[in-house]
Amino acid sequence: MSPTATEPVPPREPAPSDSPPASRHSGRPLPGPTFLRVLNSEAIKFRSLLSTLILLASTAAVMVGFGALSAWGTGQFAGAAARDPQAAARITAQGGDLAVSVPTSGIAFAQLILGSLGVLLMSSEFTTGMARSTFTAVPRRLPAFAAKLVVVMATSFVVTAVSTWVAGLVAVPILDSYGLKLDPGSSQSVKLLLVNSAYVAAVAAIGLALGTLLRNSAGGIMSLVGIFFVAPIAFQLIPGDFFKEARKYLPGNTVDSLAAAEHVPDTLEAWQAAVVLGAWVLIPLLLAAVLLKRRDV
Amino acid sequence: MIEANGLTKVYGAKTAVAGASFTVRAGQVTGFLGPNGAGKSTTMRMIMGLDRPTSGSVTVNGLPYVRHKAPLREVGALLDAKAVHTSRSAYNHLLAMAATHGIPRSRVHEVIEMTGLEAVARKKAGGFSLGMGQRLGIAAALLGDPRTLILDEPVNGLDPEGVVWVRNLVRYLAGQGRTVFLSSHLMSEMAQTADHLIVIGRGRVIADAPMQDIITGRGQERTKVRTDEPVRLTQLLAGRGASVAHRESDLLEVSGLDPRAIAGTALENQIMVYELTPLVASLEEAYMELTKDDVEYHSLPAAEAAK
Repeated sequence: MSPTATEPVPPREPAPSDSPPASRHSGRPLPGPTFLRVLNSEAIKFRSLLSTLILLASTAAVMVGFGALSAWGTGQFAGAAARDPQAAARITAQGGDLAVSVPTSGIAFAQLILGSLGVLLMSSEFTTGMARSTFTAVPRRLPAFAAKLVVVMATSFVVTAVSTWVAGLVAVPILDSYGLKLDPGSSQSVKLLLVNSAYVAAVAAIGLALGTLLRNSAGGIMSLVGIFFVAPIAFQLIPGDFFKEARKYLPGNTVDSLAAAEHVPDTLEAWQAAVVLGAWVLIPLLLAAVLLKRRDV
Repeated sequence: MIEANGLTKVYGAKTAVAGASFTVRAGQVTGFLGPNGAGKSTTMRMIMGLDRPTSGSVTVNGLPYVRHKAPLREVGALLDAKAVHTSRSAYNHLLAMAATHGIPRSRVHEVIEMTGLEAVARKKAGGFSLGMGQRLGIAAALLGDPRTLILDEPVNGLDPEGVVWVRNLVRYLAGQGRTVFLSSHLMSEMAQTADHLIVIGRGRVIADAPMQDIITGRGQERTKVRTDEPVRLTQLLAGRGASVAHRESDLLEVSGLDPRAIAGTALENQIMVYELTPLVASLEEAYMELTKDDVEYHSLPAAEAAK
């Protein structure tokens, strides 16, 4: 215990006002939690945790690392294809552009990391007890939830976009050495960057909803892994047309449809994929908002 | 000012708070006393809008807490020393809390200084001792310079200096006209800090009265009397309706008559009395008797006196 802590209070009490407490508020325009203030508070909370920063840095590292690996692998594959007419024909059928998707190769891992960040952002409030402070300061609760949503979605979008861009810059010289061209400024490159970043932001939102619903870090992350990693594989393994069809409607399968240069047969149209992903985001978020408002903290 | 009206909270089969009605007034320290599990924390969480009452209502400064435009400036609460993210520093915790209400950074430094947290403010709150956690919780409660303070077991885990510090702090804040509502299961602490006492047991308010009334208002005021003629005095006092216990050869313990009446009786009968000591019941005794068991809740004098 610090030696300064035990002095009697009145001498070291500069703050409580001399004016009577009842009249203190008069003339002060907006003393309470406006949305911008709550957003600022959530931003402070977000960046003052080491774990958050580690997850963001890991995302960038994974995106850039996989971009580089993928550039190397694509170069090898293209080299082999050049000697194999059939493979060359397949590549041409796909628009001839293997290189364009290289910068976003790490997206499956980015979505898992940033989705988990979404889960943790709310579940840790409940596991540590912070929720009692948060919802005492913002007793209406939903502004704090919305602020967290804005913070985690914006950060996820920006981190994914920037690391995709950097991954592209790293990939260009590697692809170049195999005679492949990647133009990070081409319209399809930019589309891929934007769609994938928005997709990861959506996954982070789903994570936040899961964390709010389950209030448990392990449970939330496992649910996320279940939806994005286990279900697609399970649906593929289970025989029958129903699961084959249902698999299209899993959120993890929407990103390819959204980013495709042209519609690929037997997949969702881009607008359908947008609706499906939107539903995967909005329904859990609404459910989470309703329950957050209703349940005891 | 806190006003609870028929406040009830039921968790499944367990009734944590059963129709509690009470008023906590400004300008004094109101103690909220009860054994562990009596419903103190649940009541305080309902006041702060964290738990929804099953029935009944509670307002702070005239409005439900949730409806205040600037809640932290109305009410500061220490509900739980662990209401902090364990990996965040105390400073950042307070900064984030302050940001919700546009409270300036300078105020964050002020409350850190007031609570003696300067040395540890940049350290992770998860590594704090219970006492440091309490100080951080009190710092958070003071951030908005609120009119009303709600402190759940604030001295829990504090060292003796810390206990004295909290006692001085709450008395000082109440002296400024603020409402201070303080829970504890430590009777001795309450006796030294609170002006008014609300006693809760098994979710019910069993006494709500000024501290002095709770201590003395149980009817049984006793007096120690030392005399040369205990037997004769016993007969005379018994004749006037007192009940007398013969403690030692020259020592009586009299209840049912006040010291003045005892002295008068002795004087009239020429009996020498060389000690006459009013025995003040301790809060502890009063409390033990109040919370002895369920059956007595409705029949206690203090509970009636409080109505």
